[in-house]
Amino acid sequence: MPQRPSAKPLDPFADILAAKVDSARLQHNLAAFRDVLAEIEKLRQLDLTDVHPAVVFDPASPYEMAT
Amino acid sequence: MPESDWTRPIASLAPDIRSGRISPLSLTESFVDRIERFDKKLSSYIAIAGDALNQANVATKEVESGNWRGPLHGIPIAIKDNYTTFDMPTTAGSKTPGLSFPMVDSACVERLRAAGAILVGKTRTHEFAWGMVTPPVKNPWDLDRIPGGSSGGSGAAVAAGLCVAALGSDTGGSIRIPASLCGTVGLKATFGRVSRFGVVPHSWSLDHAGPLTRTVADAAHMLNVLAGYDRRDPGSANRPVPDYTATLGKPIKGLRIGVCRNHFFESIETDVERATENAIRDLASQGATIREFRMPNLRYGLGAIFAIELASSTAYHDASIRAGRTLHFQPDVRTLVEMGRFVTAVDYLKAEQFRRVLMEDFRLVFEQVDVIASPSSPLTAWKAGESMVEIGGRDESALAASWRLSYPYNLTGLPAISVPCGFDRRGLPIGLQIAAKPFDEQTVLQVANAYERMHDWSTRFPDTFA
Repeated sequence: MPQRPSAKPLDPFADILAAKVDSARLQHNLAAFRDVLAEIEKLRQLDLTDVHPAVVFDPASPYEMAT
Repeated sequence: MPESDWTRPIASLAPDIRSGRISPLSLTESFVDRIERFDKKLSSYIAIAGDALNQANVATKEVESGNWRGPLHGIPIAIKDNYTTFDMPTTAGSKTPGLSFPMVDSACVERLRAAGAILVGKTRTHEFAWGMVTPPVKNPWDLDRIPGGSSGGSGAAVAAGLCVAALGSDTGGSIRIPASLCGTVGLKATFGRVSRFGVVPHSWSLDHAGPLTRTVADAAHMLNVLAGYDRRDPGSANRPVPDYTATLGKPIKGLRIGVCRNHFFESIETDVERATENAIRDLASQGATIREFRMPNLRYGLGAIFAIELASSTAYHDASIRAGRTLHFQPDVRTLVEMGRFVTAVDYLKAEQFRRVLMEDFRLVFEQVDVIASPSSPLTAWKAGESMVEIGGRDESALAASWRLSYPYNLTGLPAISVPCGFDRRGLPIGLQIAAKPFDEQTVLQVANAYERMHDWSTRFPDTFA
């Protein structure tokens, strides 16, 4: 889709991740996230194409909870 | 130490309450007195029930009139401050203005009241159950050290004899870690076994509710009351509830004890390793078979639980973030809650995919073994204010290390218990973790009880509180 001329460029943190904090706070949080990211990065290397997520959608659950 | 009523576990008190040899009122008075005398040092309680003695008076009259409700009748029990109660405010450990929680009983509190338990007060939690330190609570074995978390108030109160048992909650180890660090029993049953209705959410698919107790038998008595289906908890399991005391005292000869040599025995303190190996030998000496195995996929577990826990917590607190309330959170918790925004949806879903891989790995192991034994925590209680600890000659974040051996059972939802298995050279408690396949809490309790009966760890109290 072509970008409208008046549209401001998206900010990856504030707009896409909704991490709406000031710059100093953002840097603090990013630094704290570094070790977490290293662990998540290991997960990203896994090929899990054929694995269904553990949390399963259950359309009947609202009816069971209501009875 | 001479046995006083406050040192006795539920299994010992209940027959005497039933027969009238002990009244719930006198028992509760002794605990209220102990809380008043000792909790200034420990800070384990955030609130004391103003009507504790009235509850005990009612229980005393009921028992006297022949209406004994069961083993928890008249037993003083503390409630973690993230379980809602109709008669005491809930803070979830937060002083944030503008936050409030319903004044209704959570499912576990309903069940304890129905069983006749005396709810003596609410114990401190690390804010929103997010952390392993639980300030300002002290460890009763060394007041300069932390009690673990997030159920640190419950662990400290049980260990110091300021209640007979307590409720905790466990998202990555928050029942078993304080149990291990304070020298109590802590039981996280299978996901879905105990209703979380009325427990302030932390991470919906990882949160478990459960007890901290002095003995394994007491954990079984507590689970007998707490377990069962609750349609108000979307994760609740609609399965039959057995008598969890039925396997206590049964021999473990012939049971197969699994020992996972990677992950669970890497980077652990030498005293913890020694105590755990001794405990495994004790189980073998009772006729259990030891089967060693490895589970390489555990190396991906930390990334998975980080992704799920951070994303879930941030989703739960999203309204607070947008309203600016997180400015009032404790600095560590504020950072964690804001950081969850960096976990992408793809990372979250890959974590949920990986979780199924890990569940299948454990299922295959449980074709070969009945339970898995390991340390509950790689380290004993560390000093308040310390962020780094040395384990095996390597500096490591205390917080990161502390949950390494417990979170695999939150990712997989498997039942796991921490039972005391000795003390380190500084006199700090060490915990042995026993886990089993889904809904096999009976075997967890059987093996933990068999181990516990070989030692006197559960009868020891810290000198400061004796």
